[in-house]
Amino acid sequence: MQVTLKIERYNPEADESRQETFSVDVVEEATLLDVLDVIKDEVDGSLTYRKSCRMAVCGSCGMRMDGAAVLACKTPMRPVVEAGEVPVISPMGNLPVLKDLVVDMEPFWAKFRAIKPYLDDGGEEPPVKEWRVQQEELDRVMTEALCIQCGCCVSECNSMEADPDFLGPAALAKAARFVNDVRDRGGKSRLEIYNGPHGVWDCTRCYFCNQRCPKGVHPRDAIAKVGAAIYQEGMHSDGGARHAKVFVKSTHQTGYLLETHLVPETVGPVNAIKEIPFALRLARAGKVPNPLKPHKAKKLDEVRKLNKLIESQEQATLEAANAGPTRPPADPAQSKESE
Amino acid sequence: MKSSYAYYPGCLASLSQKELDTSTRAIADKLGMTLVDIPGFTCCGAGDVHEARPEYYLHLNARILGQAEQLGQDTLMTICNVCTLNLRQANAKLQADPELLRRVNRNLKEVGAASYSGGVDVRHLLWEIAEGDGYEKLKQIAEKPLTGIKIAPFYGCQILRPSRLLGFEDPDRPQSLERIIEACGAEPVDYPSKIKCCGFPIVLARAEVALGELIQPLAEAKEAGADAMVTPCPLCHLSLDAWQGKASREADMEFDLPIFHLAQLVGAAAGLSYDELQFKRHVVKAYPVTDKIYQGV
Amino acid sequence: MVRHDVVVVGAGLAGMRAAIEASRYGVDVGVVSKLHPTRSHSGAAEGGINAALGNAGEDDPQKHTFFTVKGSDYLGDQDAIAVMCEEGPGDIYELEHMGAIFSRTDDGRIAQRPFGAGGAPRTCYAADITGHVLLHVLYEQLVKSGVTVYEEWFALDLVTDGERCVGVTAWDLVRGGVQGVEASAVIMATGGLGRMYRGTTNAYACTGDGMSMAWRAGVPLKDMEFMQFHPTTLKSNGVLITEGARGEGGYLRNSEGDRFMFNYAPNAGELASRDVVSRSEQTEIDEGRGVDGCVLLDLTHLGAKRINERLHGSRELAMDYAGVDPIEEPIPVRPGSHYHMGGIDTDVWGHTLMPGLYAAGECACVSVHGANRLGGNSLLETVVFGRRTGAAAAQDVRRNGSGGVFSPSAAAIAERSIGRMLDTNDGERPHVLRQELADAMYDNAGIFRSAEGLEACKAKVEELRERYDRGVVVQDKGRDFNTDLIQAIELGSMLEMADCLVTGAIARTESRGAHSRLDYPERDDEAWLRHTLAFYDEGQVRLDYRPVTITEYEPAVRSY
Repeated sequence: MQVTLKIERYNPEADESRQETFSVDVVEEATLLDVLDVIKDEVDGSLTYRKSCRMAVCGSCGMRMDGAAVLACKTPMRPVVEAGEVPVISPMGNLPVLKDLVVDMEPFWAKFRAIKPYLDDGGEEPPVKEWRVQQEELDRVMTEALCIQCGCCVSECNSMEADPDFLGPAALAKAARFVNDVRDRGGKSRLEIYNGPHGVWDCTRCYFCNQRCPKGVHPRDAIAKVGAAIYQEGMHSDGGARHAKVFVKSTHQTGYLLETHLVPETVGPVNAIKEIPFALRLARAGKVPNPLKPHKAKKLDEVRKLNKLIESQEQATLEAANAGPTRPPADPAQSKESE
Repeated sequence: MKSSYAYYPGCLASLSQKELDTSTRAIADKLGMTLVDIPGFTCCGAGDVHEARPEYYLHLNARILGQAEQLGQDTLMTICNVCTLNLRQANAKLQADPELLRRVNRNLKEVGAASYSGGVDVRHLLWEIAEGDGYEKLKQIAEKPLTGIKIAPFYGCQILRPSRLLGFEDPDRPQSLERIIEACGAEPVDYPSKIKCCGFPIVLARAEVALGELIQPLAEAKEAGADAMVTPCPLCHLSLDAWQGKASREADMEFDLPIFHLAQLVGAAAGLSYDELQFKRHVVKAYPVTDKIYQGV
Repeated sequence: MVRHDVVVVGAGLAGMRAAIEASRYGVDVGVVSKLHPTRSHSGAAEGGINAALGNAGEDDPQKHTFFTVKGSDYLGDQDAIAVMCEEGPGDIYELEHMGAIFSRTDDGRIAQRPFGAGGAPRTCYAADITGHVLLHVLYEQLVKSGVTVYEEWFALDLVTDGERCVGVTAWDLVRGGVQGVEASAVIMATGGLGRMYRGTTNAYACTGDGMSMAWRAGVPLKDMEFMQFHPTTLKSNGVLITEGARGEGGYLRNSEGDRFMFNYAPNAGELASRDVVSRSEQTEIDEGRGVDGCVLLDLTHLGAKRINERLHGSRELAMDYAGVDPIEEPIPVRPGSHYHMGGIDTDVWGHTLMPGLYAAGECACVSVHGANRLGGNSLLETVVFGRRTGAAAAQDVRRNGSGGVFSPSAAAIAERSIGRMLDTNDGERPHVLRQELADAMYDNAGIFRSAEGLEACKAKVEELRERYDRGVVVQDKGRDFNTDLIQAIELGSMLEMADCLVTGAIARTESRGAHSRLDYPERDDEAWLRHTLAFYDEGQVRLDYRPVTITEYEPAVRSY
């Protein structure tokens, strides 16, 4: 079948960008990567892109098709051809372009390195054999462990576009992989790394990362897991965590969100005062509910009891998770405390 | 379109965005939709409880769905993107895992709340009137077409993504709002960031980042010649409307874009008045556009 | 110009394990890799890593040793195999302590499943993405170690001072330009060469560059003629479906629906060793009992739950690249070139015959796999010998101090050579030669070989080498990120390695393991129980031989 692509090219030596159209013949099962290979071999050897495994496991070939990041090797071209479309192929977003479809991954790897991307054993002597870990415990990190670090999630991250220093979905999904690994003893000091100005609370929840991820990692969900861990450990220093606290308190007190509490609790009293002119503008439009007479839900006692009940269950789960991994019975390196 | 729905307005439409609730009830009447109130409904937890206390979020939403089921309704209608994703995600989890559903119901029973059997579907108003008989009904009631008005649609993230949970339309090329704008007689205006984020979830905790996001749809819609914008989400509405002044200062650009709730757009085309649709509750005054609509100015 | 005590070329499992180990000895380590480490082909491994942990029943390293020796068709060096099998368990436990996410038994131990020709369930696994999991855990440890990594640097040549290896030259892909990389010890860990065949499981990057570098520097390559063909690869693009699918109970059927493997391997059936299964499949296909040039891998009886839990990756691959959901239908599969048993000749510590040069992983040949490798032993080899080689290199450096003299003109010579390539405007495009090579190797140096076919293949390879030397055209003339140039250089490596492979195959007039001669169908221990050595001799391949180390197990009839 014949495939036509428009490719956004960039030549660094001339610092020149241009869009080029290519039409080539390929087999029916061809992927976007196959098409690029045919173009490179038969039409223009200077077309530059990364590739290696061609089976969606190495993460090399991330690029945008019509503005949406995909793995070229996992993108079949037949549906595109059948729909009569001519897609525009461009490099991934949120990363500097080196040449054609190749982006500079160094900022991406720098964020990876910044999240302490290795198991923290807490300096404890491991057992002679393996830690005893239940499959269900490891299943808690299996989703994040699927990540091939391709960058598709980062490409469309709306937060990162507005804040280039945001750690981002890939790095934070990697963080979640350790936060929830029962063998990691990083505890709160690890969580602090993700609690900073460019950490989890920077995420705008646009869900582009979940939408783009070709491996089912669901990075947004992973970011939420880290946020949950930070919140449930009582680390409420960031406005983002305090914002969540208002929702929890509100639903407990009234069943609804107490909107008027959001501003002072999230941004702090000083900043809240600065926001008074803004609040007045909203008040003039009638958008500020009466803080003295909060709107309460009916059957509120059900909700309050529910909150307390679930809270106690969450506590139990947290304690179990923080207990650390299990040593095999009769392990020679067993610590004295567990005797 | 169903004849009746369990109606879930969510927190904002009940309070600061009251005009959305008012407008929704008014157009439901015209569309022939019966909205059944859920007496004991609470907040869905938004993204915050969803993230910080996932178990609690799951139970809050199971309880809401259980209440809808108790009212004999098989469909719950939302008017907010965040509520939609939250309820649909909880629903999907509960429907897929009988063991989980049993456990959640045990907890609900313990606190005296109604249990849920998994029999409710969650639909946003947008979906109900964008196609099928709902769309036909919309065309019927649009007696006062908004001719000559250019409206830029702003979808908001959580009515599109993740599409495996929402799945109403192509998340990268949605058309539902454009169809509705056309049915209302107005002209839809296209621009790239109509599917991007308004920044609301972090508009307080990360104001600068949120404004960096918010500026994009406002600037692009303005540059594309829009008179106004329309959105199906009250949180996006709050961003685009109440925060428009801040975005304007940040971008050093005048936007002057009135922001319509979806229900207001439909209401105006159906002949409801400025007061009935409570346009005065907007921070960015709607009258430059509503004058055109109501007075043909 | 950069300088380190130990330089590792290649950042897959073996390379990273070596680098991590060397750094533990307090020496300064640098890693040169043409890909970012997690892009390495180790990540494509699926089914598992063998070790006699005894978690799925009684087991011990001796049993593992025996089955590996038998699997190797008695060409493996038994002392090396014993080392690997004895040290394996310790290496697995260490990987687990590093955080590797192995699948577990009910009581929380590392789970093990049966794999081809293993004799017992000995294969530890992480669902069916074991390579990916191990690659990432080693990269995490590499980041933790703080070792310098020169990413997207393509190593070109070994630099020697006449006596020892003193480093490499490398082309910096990102910035353009040749860099000198000086070292007291160089560890080659550049993986395999499957891309010289049409229909391979291998990534584009598997082009035998490190083997080529070593060979050209005078270091012999061992057992080059032994190429393993994996039985279950997809027709559309050669992608691998793990042996684990059969380990979980999958069946192989022909067009008549029969589980034909029991005709060839009455005891082991689908879990016979890979060379046996591949030959059986090819025979079925050649004799008209195939389906569209394939046989059928049937997982439908395993059920959705088992497939989603244990074979989720395979299911995704089958859906993406074969348009088949294995829960509902069998997957059409056929043999494809997969793993190269041969490589740079080393001892059990990774030493080559050249002081200062070491090798580990698929690019090396210790030999632990002999004429045929058991599934699950390659991942094991990378960590055991990666570790040992890293340790040996580091200890040698600490003992002997810095090496010889890195010639200041080495980089300039390489620059000129690259310059000549870029300046060539008259000639063929590399992909033309690449395709002809791949077809010739598949047709004549594949599963079933004969003197006639191999001779034709040799002639073809020589012709291609001549055409290559006359000059191929690199269309991208730029210095920034020139992948067109890299592909042209990789072609050169493949042509040289193909020559070594085919020359060895012609000479070996017997069938053993993966080397199957239609004209010499029997194994001939008297004449051929020996390793082939391929030396560089003014650009040509000169063969020599070396005995196999037999300790415990006298060669016996090999049947499954």
